[in-house]
Amino acid sequence: MLSDDLFAEAERQLNICNSCRYCAGYCPVWPALELRTQLTVTDVTHLSNLCHDCQDCFTACMYSPPHEFAVNPPQVFASVREETYGSYVWPAEPPAALRGRRGVLAAFLGSAVLVAVLALLMGESSVVDGSHTRSPYELIPHFTLAVIVLIPTIFTLLVMARAAWRYWRDIGGTLAGLTDLAAWTRTFGQAATLRHQTGGQEGCSYPDGEPAGARRRFHHMVAYGFLLTFVSTVSAFILETFLDSAPPYDVVSVPVLSGTIGGVLASVGCVGLLVLKRRADVLQSTESMRRADHALLWALLALMLSGLAVLVLRATPVFGPVLGLHLATVIVAFAIAPYTKFFHWVYRVLSIQYDNRESRRRASA
Amino acid sequence: MAEVHRRAPDRPERWDVVVIGGGNAALVSAMSAHDQGARVLVLERADRTFRGGNSRHTRNIRCVHRSADDYNTGAYPYDELWKDLCGVGTGPSDEDLAELTVTESESVPDWMSAHGALWQKPLAGTLHLGRTNRFFLGGGKALINGYYRELERRGIPVWYEAKVESLEFDGPRCNSLVVDVGGKRVTVTATAVVCASGGFEANLDWLREYWGDAVSNYHIRGPRFNDGLVLRQLLDNGAAVAGEQRGFHSVAVDARSPKFDGGIATRIDSIPFGVVLNKKGERFYDEGEDIWPKRYAIWGRNLAGQPDQIGYCVWDSKVQGLFLPPMYGVYKADSIAGVLDAMGLPTEPGRTTIERFNAGAPADAAGRFDPGGLDGVATAGVVPAKTNWAQRIDTPPYYGITVRPGITFTYMGVKVNAGGRVVLEDGSTMENVFAAGEIMSGNVLSSGYLAGFGMTIGTVWGRISGREAARHALR
Repeated sequence: MLSDDLFAEAERQLNICNSCRYCAGYCPVWPALELRTQLTVTDVTHLSNLCHDCQDCFTACMYSPPHEFAVNPPQVFASVREETYGSYVWPAEPPAALRGRRGVLAAFLGSAVLVAVLALLMGESSVVDGSHTRSPYELIPHFTLAVIVLIPTIFTLLVMARAAWRYWRDIGGTLAGLTDLAAWTRTFGQAATLRHQTGGQEGCSYPDGEPAGARRRFHHMVAYGFLLTFVSTVSAFILETFLDSAPPYDVVSVPVLSGTIGGVLASVGCVGLLVLKRRADVLQSTESMRRADHALLWALLALMLSGLAVLVLRATPVFGPVLGLHLATVIVAFAIAPYTKFFHWVYRVLSIQYDNRESRRRASA
Repeated sequence: MAEVHRRAPDRPERWDVVVIGGGNAALVSAMSAHDQGARVLVLERADRTFRGGNSRHTRNIRCVHRSADDYNTGAYPYDELWKDLCGVGTGPSDEDLAELTVTESESVPDWMSAHGALWQKPLAGTLHLGRTNRFFLGGGKALINGYYRELERRGIPVWYEAKVESLEFDGPRCNSLVVDVGGKRVTVTATAVVCASGGFEANLDWLREYWGDAVSNYHIRGPRFNDGLVLRQLLDNGAAVAGEQRGFHSVAVDARSPKFDGGIATRIDSIPFGVVLNKKGERFYDEGEDIWPKRYAIWGRNLAGQPDQIGYCVWDSKVQGLFLPPMYGVYKADSIAGVLDAMGLPTEPGRTTIERFNAGAPADAAGRFDPGGLDGVATAGVVPAKTNWAQRIDTPPYYGITVRPGITFTYMGVKVNAGGRVVLEDGSTMENVFAAGEIMSGNVLSSGYLAGFGMTIGTVWGRISGREAARHALR
């Protein structure tokens, strides 16, 4: 839940927005605000997650700081989103020992040790003597590997489902809203294209206060690159488990192609976003959001680069250690995902869905 | 965007056209002059953050169009705009120039699009201007940002924090300008000058000459830079006056607004839905005289004529939510006396005034009340009458807000001819000085205002003056 101070500040600013309404053409946040002249905490939470941080409202606003009205929706929405990310996951925090940078490092080392021990106990000598066939299952047998990766993955999926459901209920969503396929069609289209990050026809003002599309393009690269690597992993699992096709797979195969293209795309996207972030004015965001963005981007980059390294180095003697490091990264990334900004898309997608149903009701009213 | 010029150069430079000002009229002038091939310099008084003058606070422009399109819901022919313009205040000051303004307006939207303007689809707003007015995507500051971007693309330099201290005349010709640029004094030589530096509404001493101490209670809706220094220079150098000394566009604003730069968010639109009392607890004007887009701009003047320039607007829960919610919130109480008290007005005779108003309001008002248009729900036997939307104020909770005059811009400026050249008192013209925007709005507007027409004047005359200045410089 929002702190009283943050809600009061959001309410102050949005009351000014509601008595102006010049930004109505930029994104659905502003038409949605017009329906809410008496703001509640859940209204503010919903609007904040509907916001895609294009920052066009900020550059268009004659009241943005240093004007005395100090209207800064991108910043106030970012602050609210941070509280959203913190308040919908359960358990609310990882064990004390695993928090922060040191915690992540400890988790990584722990996972690496786990992978190493399993490899020593169950791995085949071929990984060590270089006669391996480039199959990961020579390092750790297929079943064991599936178990150690699936445990954190399933944990994250459960936490995500619970957070999504609680968020959906909190912003006023109904069961019917979740099964509304017509609205979902729009929602997925808008989410897939980041429609609400385009500032109407103007283009996003990030990072220099001038219309640009770089952030959206890099974000697409990260998102679709990540999805491709996911396809790679799942397809490899299916090939092995159901189609009896064991690795190594050819260069022209679903797992290798999707993994390579996805890994490269996502890596370039992460680097691009990190570079843009250096240029962006922190006035429209918060320090802690910046740190959260950095943490997620570096984690994704580690995931992608270690995955690519496995592909590139799979014919060399270091295949075993590199694969081990990648596996440790995967385990940690999935285990800490609920406590990173990774979930942001869950709340955004749900708020878009809610908004699509709301604007359809309004249009037919 | 990098600033094109943060500091002026050490040596004097010669420009074809120097534009004084940094709002809509100035930027249009600069681009229009550049379209003709002129080498142009823009002198903006504010810094980069606060650039754009009053245009920062605008939202739309009113132009003639023959049919509906993506951005207007219907046609708005020449005759209708002309009739609307004649219907406000005492009508146009100079009919020829006003006609030229309306005629030229038709080609303005395309010109704007070609120079960097983006538009917004018509939205359901409280002012119902979707047919007549075209809305800027993101409002006036976004429009201005787009124009500055276009200036940068064209390589037209802008000096920010540039205050023109004097125009140096040799007879009817201005040879140079003395400019304070961020604390450094520079002489700028220009073949032609376009003055697009706004009115003098932020110059409280100047306003006081015409309004006396009432000025202490006025709010200035735009930036404090609009002090009319350039207008004063032109008048001191023999320019003829156009427009009335006391002419201005003004609206009712929240009495809690800042003295300067409160803009749109402080405007109060509750008036047609309730009654307005003065400090003596009396009503003083028909709150329901006409639809709000045609009447919102007389309430600044109405309030300026009342004791202590303050009004107390009261309405009830039946109409709460039908207008834009004021940024500072509203006063609220379970009784009429309670809400008057909350606003700091003695309960009597205000309560009696409202009781008498209620007695004169028709009993069947609720069934006929229509906020979407003139509904003819009028009072009987009440002075002054409320001729539309006269519902009784009888359903708690009651709401109120205190209002004061908010001055948008002054009309008194310099007289121009059809080419935008400044006219001298003897009827001749300055050789190379042109004007555009609020500084010459008095040629068109006398009293009263038509929403979005200030931007029409600025764009039409910016285009004319920029073009003519360039032709003069390149002749």
